[in-house]
Amino acid sequence: MTDKVTDSVETGGDDHSVSRRQAIAAAGTAGAVGLAGCSGDGSEGSSSDVADPLSERDEVRIGVLAPVPSENPIGASIANGAQLAVDQINEEGGVGGAELSLVVKDTKEEPQTGSTRYGELIRNEEVDLTTGVFTSEVLLAILDDIAGSETPHMTAGAASPEASAKVSESYDKYKYHFRTGPINAHHLGVNLVDFVEAKADALGWESVAVLIEDYKWTEPVSAALDEQLSETNVEIAMTNRYPSGTEDFNPIYNEVEESGADAAFISMAHTGTAAVIQWAKQQRPFEFGGIHVPMQLPSYYDAVKGACAYGVTQNSATPTAEVTEKTTAFADAYSEAFDSYPVYTGYIAYDAVNQFAEVISDSDDVAADAVVDGLEGSSYRGTTGTIEYYGPDSEFAHDVKYGQDTVWPVYQQWQPDDPENPQAGGTQEVIFPEDLSTAEYQTPPWI
Amino acid sequence: MSDRSDRGDGQPLDRLNPMRLGLRHQLGLVGLVGLGTLPLVIDATFALTLALAYFWGVYAMSWDVVSGYTGQISFGHGVFFGVGGYTSALLNLGYGIDPVFSIPVGALLAAVAGLIIGVPALRLRGPYLSLVTLVAPLILVQVFIFRSDIFNGEQGLSSVDPLFGLSTFGNETAFYYVALGLFVGVLALLLLITRSDAGSVFTAIREDEDAVAAAGLNPAKFKIMAFVLSAAIGGLAGAVIVHTPSGNASPTTLMSVTVNVEVIIAAILGGMGTIVGAGVGGILLILLREQLSKVAWTVPIIDTPVSDIDFLVFALITLVLLYALPGGIVRWVIELGGQSVAKLRGRDDVAADGGQTPLEQVYDSYAEWFSGGDDDER
Amino acid sequence: MAGISQFVIQSTIRSGLYALVAIGFTLIFGVGGVLNLAHGASIVLGAYGVYLATTVLGLTTGVGFVVGLLLPAAFSGLLYLGIIKRFDHEPIMVMILTLVTSIAVELLVLNTAGSQPVAIPQFVPGNVTLGGTNVQYNLLAVFVLSWLIIVGLFLFVNYTKTGKAILAVSMSDKGASLVGIDSDRINLITWIIAGVLAGIAGIALGSQLGATFSMGRTPLILSFSIVVLGGIGSIRGSVVGAYIIGFIEVGFVQFISNDLTGIAPLLVLVGVLLVKPEGLFGRELAE
Repeated sequence: MTDKVTDSVETGGDDHSVSRRQAIAAAGTAGAVGLAGCSGDGSEGSSSDVADPLSERDEVRIGVLAPVPSENPIGASIANGAQLAVDQINEEGGVGGAELSLVVKDTKEEPQTGSTRYGELIRNEEVDLTTGVFTSEVLLAILDDIAGSETPHMTAGAASPEASAKVSESYDKYKYHFRTGPINAHHLGVNLVDFVEAKADALGWESVAVLIEDYKWTEPVSAALDEQLSETNVEIAMTNRYPSGTEDFNPIYNEVEESGADAAFISMAHTGTAAVIQWAKQQRPFEFGGIHVPMQLPSYYDAVKGACAYGVTQNSATPTAEVTEKTTAFADAYSEAFDSYPVYTGYIAYDAVNQFAEVISDSDDVAADAVVDGLEGSSYRGTTGTIEYYGPDSEFAHDVKYGQDTVWPVYQQWQPDDPENPQAGGTQEVIFPEDLSTAEYQTPPWI
Repeated sequence: MSDRSDRGDGQPLDRLNPMRLGLRHQLGLVGLVGLGTLPLVIDATFALTLALAYFWGVYAMSWDVVSGYTGQISFGHGVFFGVGGYTSALLNLGYGIDPVFSIPVGALLAAVAGLIIGVPALRLRGPYLSLVTLVAPLILVQVFIFRSDIFNGEQGLSSVDPLFGLSTFGNETAFYYVALGLFVGVLALLLLITRSDAGSVFTAIREDEDAVAAAGLNPAKFKIMAFVLSAAIGGLAGAVIVHTPSGNASPTTLMSVTVNVEVIIAAILGGMGTIVGAGVGGILLILLREQLSKVAWTVPIIDTPVSDIDFLVFALITLVLLYALPGGIVRWVIELGGQSVAKLRGRDDVAADGGQTPLEQVYDSYAEWFSGGDDDER
Repeated sequence: MAGISQFVIQSTIRSGLYALVAIGFTLIFGVGGVLNLAHGASIVLGAYGVYLATTVLGLTTGVGFVVGLLLPAAFSGLLYLGIIKRFDHEPIMVMILTLVTSIAVELLVLNTAGSQPVAIPQFVPGNVTLGGTNVQYNLLAVFVLSWLIIVGLFLFVNYTKTGKAILAVSMSDKGASLVGIDSDRINLITWIIAGVLAGIAGIALGSQLGATFSMGRTPLILSFSIVVLGGIGSIRGSVVGAYIIGFIEVGFVQFISNDLTGIAPLLVLVGVLLVKPEGLFGRELAE
């Protein structure tokens, strides 16, 4: 693969690659030599190891991959969040005199389409950065393309630690990948434990029933819970990693009731809606919280007519929580521009574009290696927290750092605006961390 | 095919001699040569689009061998793409085996899967077989998710070595030729087989299984042959595609409902039971879909650009085409061309098979099953 | 033992739902000899009909249910008139066209209502504890409804003129036309009834699991399995098939392992087909 091509470049030494390598040597960029000329003559202007001064550019191009942005709120938030960032930066005169421009491509949430569209962004649009993606399936499918194109990529939405493991294992090849958010799936699990540790007493959760859907994405979450949850003062009444095809939650909920758990402690995405509707409609005598991906969407409450009332989920940000001073300002600007509030992916895509702009503005260099270096050293205060990345030696290389001083997710509860008529409408109220909370936790009235 | 009886007596290889081929086959050869020189004039993105299209041509041809020829309609051909692709990817990732060696193993294992599904399928007719093929990929996907420690579940396997160590960027033309080579190779192989004596038996099974048995041939043996051949070629395409930019080893790419249905659509749109038609159908399907995703024209009333609803528009176009041209595009073009050639030469073209399309013959055999098998019904 | 009574109640309720899901599919298969792969699309339209009426247009729940029955009925009738009639006696073309139609319907719903799941009202809200297990009134209603429909269909087919004509067409449409039955009209009626039944199934499923554009896929496979297991085209066989699959699924999860939820019935199905390719009850016509 890469090695063979590199060999031929080193021994063959045609003028083009020699000049490239000299330029690298001159630029003194460590670690890049092994990959010089990897993509050969076919590589487009964007993936260059040579310094590419921002001051000589009048345009910097950003490519966005989003799932069905025309109708999927997750995809729309990625596209719109990035667009808003670009518009705001351009209004302020651009980055170092250069305009930012945005190209959005639809992945259809399919790995093959994602890979094809990524190729178009690189080959035809000659972008300097790509962001977005959303599902891990698509991210893993384009990971090798990112390595091949040598173009920086800032993921918004996919949590699979496999991506950072690759960066860690083969740094030179995969170093172009950064995960701006959310925190990776391992940290999602750690964060669940941190939440329970800090909040269980206040919630009255003495024992929990762990319910996790059996998909690949929850494996690191399960592992983190298995390892750390028992060390908290909360009793684990039962653990059920239920199969992916589950539609009928009756047997599972019966088991939870028999276990006497105070709450179902969940990790759900694909099966989440069936689970929460059955929990609510059956008024099961236990509380319901953890990671519930559909509940993170601001439009979810109306879509399920309040079935998610009193459910708790982790989230990157909500429209009302002051995660940082930029959070609500962004949510409001977004709402004004696009007539709806963003999903968590929107905050992340917005942060990614802004952080990239800050990095190239500081270094005055849009070349891929300079951007990678810049991002590694960057500490950017965004809407989801202070965004810093783990270094090349970390097992989570280039993942956003998890922690109270960096990115620390919020926990939201869907609270009905009118408890007598929960169908009418609800609000995502933040209940954790304390300093951001917008409301007290409410126990479901039927318990 | 109507010319089967004209040239059925030469040596197999002789039948591929360009000088002895009919006009439309010579035109086809010219077309292939044209495809071979295409990378000189197209850009890298289009080269990759065409590469994907060739893979789909192979998918559709592999379906055609079993469904178009023997009339055993498979609704889940993705199972073979999946077995081929995952086998090769797992061997490559787990044991570092070069794709050049892991791909044949993928094709082999797909052939075994064809045997596993094909043998019981012999006992099943009509809708029962369709049901088994419909659920086979669903079961496989569930197994992949259930054993995600091996198959990586819904996320699929990533970072599989590319074929010949080619990197994605800068080698688009090479991948174009890989796909084209596979397409042409499979096309030639399948044409040889289906235009051989075995091919005649395949067709005869579709037309009337009982007659084949009456002639002293074992239809079961030939059906299994067709199933295994079809599975091996589908598996080969699936195995190759995961090592190119045109595909990856994930459930969505290899075995989704969309894949299973689109393979059938491609083969029927192109022309079922002709191999060439299926191949062309696969290519056209991808080109049409890609083209639609770039149409910015806004549909009035619903006020949505076509590119946002490209899949829906594609499904509607498919419906209309299936409705209007149930015999397939290639057959339709050949008929049109045949009519004009006949006009030029001043003679009528006589169809050797009584003018029934393969699709009609499959209908008849299914209809026979549905009506309880009374042959004298019509 | 609580486990056994729970198992029986859960299985019975689940099987009632399954019978409801499969019965429209069986009817069309039995009468017209057609495998209607757009059955799932009718189910989707049932659920989204309710969603459209209650959430989008803000009408009452009762009107919503009516729309949820009319929409799939109209779709089913148009499907018969537009496609099935032309390709009558061409089962493969019918299978493929209904499959493509159902994909088009899914995409239409996806592009208009979005990919997010939506909730639709239940038939009857609330819960009761039965035999040590929590049972929703909604599911009890579905169970009762499924038996009302089964019995109603049985009476309709055997004791009304139209029903007898349906029976006659299912046996032989040529024979039926000889005695002056307009088989096209009878087929159209069958398709419309099947559409209504699919609509009810769609509302039942949607109120239980939430409605999505792809919610019809699993029920289609399920219906197919039930029909094959119970014998092609037999309503009685389908009801038995639904109960077999319901009991196997719940029993498998409760007593053996829940690892294979969702595919246990498919494995049973493949097993049955290997041993007894004609299904458990052979091939019968609608009774």
